[in-house]
Amino acid sequence: MIKIANLSFSYNKETPVLTGIKLEFDRRSTAIIGQNGAGKTTFVKLLKGLLKADEGEILIHDHNVNRKTAAQLARTIGLVFQNPNDQIFKRTVLDEVMFGPLNIKMDKQTAKEKAIEALKMVELDGKLEMNPHDLSLSEKKLLCIASVVAMETDIIIFDEPTIAQDHGGKEKIRQIIQALKDKNKLVMTIIHDMDFVAENFERTIVFTEGKVLLDGDTRYVFSQKELLETACVEAPGITKLAERLGFKDTVITVEEFINLKQTCSPPR
Amino acid sequence: MKRIVVEGLKYKYPLADSLALNDVTFDIKQGEFIGIIGKNLAGKSTLCQALVGLVPHFYKGAYGGKVFVGGLEVKNHSIADISLKVGMVFQNPFTQVTGSKMTVYEEIAFGLENIGVPRSEIIERIDSVLNLLKIEQVKDHNPFDLSGGQMQRMAIASIIAMKPDILVLDEPTSQLDPAGSEEVFQAIQSLSKQGITVILAEHKMEKIAQYCDRVLLLNNGKVVDFDTPGKVFSREDLEEKGVTAPVYTRVCKALGVKKAGTDEYPVTLEEAERVLRGDGA
Amino acid sequence: MKSISLYEEGTSFVHDVDPITKLWYIPFAILIPIILPLFTVSFLLIGLSLALLLAAKVIRKTIPVFGFVFLILITVVLIQGMFKPENETVLFQIGPLTMYKEGLLFALTITLRVINIIGAFMILVLTTKPSDLVEALVRKGMSPRIGYVVVSVFQIIPEMMATMSTITDAQRARGMETEGKLLVRIKAFLPLLGPVVLGSLINTKERAMALEVRGFNSQAPKTFLYEEKTYQFSKILQMGMLLLTVAAVVWRIFL
Ligand SMILES: Nc1ncnc2c1ncn2[C@@H]1O[C@H](COP(=O)(O)OP(=O)(O)OP(=O)(O)O)[C@@H](O)[C@H]1O
Ligand SMILES: Nc1ncnc2c1ncn2[C@@H]1O[C@H](COP(=O)(O)OP(=O)(O)OP(=O)(O)O)[C@@H](O)[C@H]1O
Ligand SMILES: [Mg+2]
Ligand SMILES: [Mg+2]
Repeated sequence: MIKIANLSFSYNKETPVLTGIKLEFDRRSTAIIGQNGAGKTTFVKLLKGLLKADEGEILIHDHNVNRKTAAQLARTIGLVFQNPNDQIFKRTVLDEVMFGPLNIKMDKQTAKEKAIEALKMVELDGKLEMNPHDLSLSEKKLLCIASVVAMETDIIIFDEPTIAQDHGGKEKIRQIIQALKDKNKLVMTIIHDMDFVAENFERTIVFTEGKVLLDGDTRYVFSQKELLETACVEAPGITKLAERLGFKDTVITVEEFINLKQTCSPPR
Repeated sequence: MKRIVVEGLKYKYPLADSLALNDVTFDIKQGEFIGIIGKNLAGKSTLCQALVGLVPHFYKGAYGGKVFVGGLEVKNHSIADISLKVGMVFQNPFTQVTGSKMTVYEEIAFGLENIGVPRSEIIERIDSVLNLLKIEQVKDHNPFDLSGGQMQRMAIASIIAMKPDILVLDEPTSQLDPAGSEEVFQAIQSLSKQGITVILAEHKMEKIAQYCDRVLLLNNGKVVDFDTPGKVFSREDLEEKGVTAPVYTRVCKALGVKKAGTDEYPVTLEEAERVLRGDGA
Repeated sequence: MKSISLYEEGTSFVHDVDPITKLWYIPFAILIPIILPLFTVSFLLIGLSLALLLAAKVIRKTIPVFGFVFLILITVVLIQGMFKPENETVLFQIGPLTMYKEGLLFALTITLRVINIIGAFMILVLTTKPSDLVEALVRKGMSPRIGYVVVSVFQIIPEMMATMSTITDAQRARGMETEGKLLVRIKAFLPLLGPVVLGSLINTKERAMALEVRGFNSQAPKTFLYEEKTYQFSKILQMGMLLLTVAAVVWRIFL
């Protein structure tokens, strides 16, 4: 769906932020992890056409991103910003969510339906007329997610969606991601919560210093302990526990762990 | 020695129809590392802000009860006075930039200049926090041109540099990479070992369990429990309060193994490892 | 993000002069031609300012400013030259338009004054970092709060422009066309203003809290990260300017 060749970018000419990125995306749900300042946010802004690459090419559905405006791309690719304050600008919660659908030429009625449906998923449908700026940080983040989900784009990218969320909030986001996967959409998420990565994403890409360090099945990626360390990330807690207990295989979810533990006794 | 005493604190934001904090009472000794947990909207941030005086001085609203921090009664002292003793890092890293400084370096100096730290010491302290939070490489960047995690690191650095007696942190590692958040917790722990009193609101239960001496569980503005991580995370009604225990506790619960000789489940990686090894399965 | 200040970094001696002395130069350059209303004096001072701007290698940056000012001054010249009530002596005629000597001389005085003032300001603005100037004033006793407001204006206006581009990003990310033809851009621009202002107000509130906990209102005597910028001749320059001004007054009264 997405093909990226030799992508490079810098904000000012002196310090390169991304260099020589080569990646392809299919419909597997994908987590992007890596140290602070590695260039993850920058990378997705490039995909979205909000920044222009210095070098290289991004093809989405065989169309070159460079030749389209960000607005044209908005029908295919949605992005939830890292900082919700950067995304919110309407006066009511409902208007905020309807903004995207209306722009991609849905009629008002459909737009409203989609908006309310998305707001239900994040349990904000009781606050339609509130000013988004009066919401708490965790609610703002969920609102931003709803605003993009309502557009029903084929590709959807979340930049650190679980910030400020409690267990219930993360569960909502997990369900949204699952629903999107069921609709066969490409879901891509930048995230620092490794447990969430393990439970929700098939593929994981590790960025470090503007390059791709590791890319593969989530389980495989979390088995690469030394490499993960160089990118300032780590395996989920349960993986670490299993490893310490001497489990042979890389365990990435609690269920797996419990099953293994109950059915067979791991080597000491 | 008690550093923080909260007695019957009640607080309602202006225009709100319910209490954000409802009869909160607890005290904290010097050098303790306290975690505040609770679901979204439980009142964690409000409580943090009540310790630095933003509640009630900044927000106004209805306020009852007493809060003493470092010997000052919050209600009767200005935020400026309190700020000399208590430092606070806010939940959203994007909105705590002063907007009057051109570089990260100068940004960190802002608080130090205000409280009158001598110049040579300002420089020393900045260099040390830049190093502590690993942001030396962006020290000459504009404070607004940073990645989310770098901005959060700068916010923490700016407060730690002021060396307050009491440190209040509201989800300080939400944007940090795993290694970064581990380092920040270690740094905060070492400050607490040096006698600084730390209060930290957080959703990362594994970190709370590992680093905190005691955990304050809030729900709907009320204190549900204030005890050791082992006790709090072993509560049966935890999920009802909107909180899940650390993953280590959850597996051990599911497998039905407790810490030897206690009624508590393990809460950290080390404890879980010890228990599960011992159990042999 | 850049600051809106016009400050140009440099190593000339003009840059080395401390901000306060450069600040002194402004009233000096304004007062002298008022005390001694002679064209020669005005020309001398303008020459001095231009020489300093040249020495600081910032003269290029003054061109747009002077360009803009000249545009206004031309209208002054035309209006005064033709319509000043005291106009008597005809200088020349172009078609139905008549230029008078009185008006033109008056316009010339204004022009010289304006150029003079602008030149003096430019020296300060182009060779001094705004934050250095404010810091110098705070050291001299100005309230740090006022200082903050002044400095933050230099940061916050570009920040608002940055906010503008963030919101544009938010809009185009969700399908609103903001690129391309002028009309499209104007249509995209207008609805921006509300959110930008609202956003800044909200930022202001959250920022106020951040400032509070950073000891912004603390009574403790303030210190500074940077050493005070001093210039070995600043006292001499300041005294010199004062003496010259006094001398000018004396000249005016007694000669
Ligand atoms: N507007 C900007 N101008 C200049 N440099 C920037 C800007 N935004 C980010 N940078 C720099 O580019 C690098 C990559 O930033 P980016 O935001 O992509 O990181 P990230 O991987 O998303 O990090 P995080 O996990 O902290 O969000 C960082 O070193 C940052 O300082
Ligand atoms: N500025 C405000 N004005 C009015 N009500 C507020 C304000 N800030 C918070 N509240 C309310 O106070 C209560 C406690 O909110 P608070 O922000 O303290 O929760 P929290 O535990 O920090 O949540 P989170 O985990 O989302 O950060 C909530 O009901 C919230 O709606
Ligand atoms: Mg980022
Ligand atoms: Mg909070």
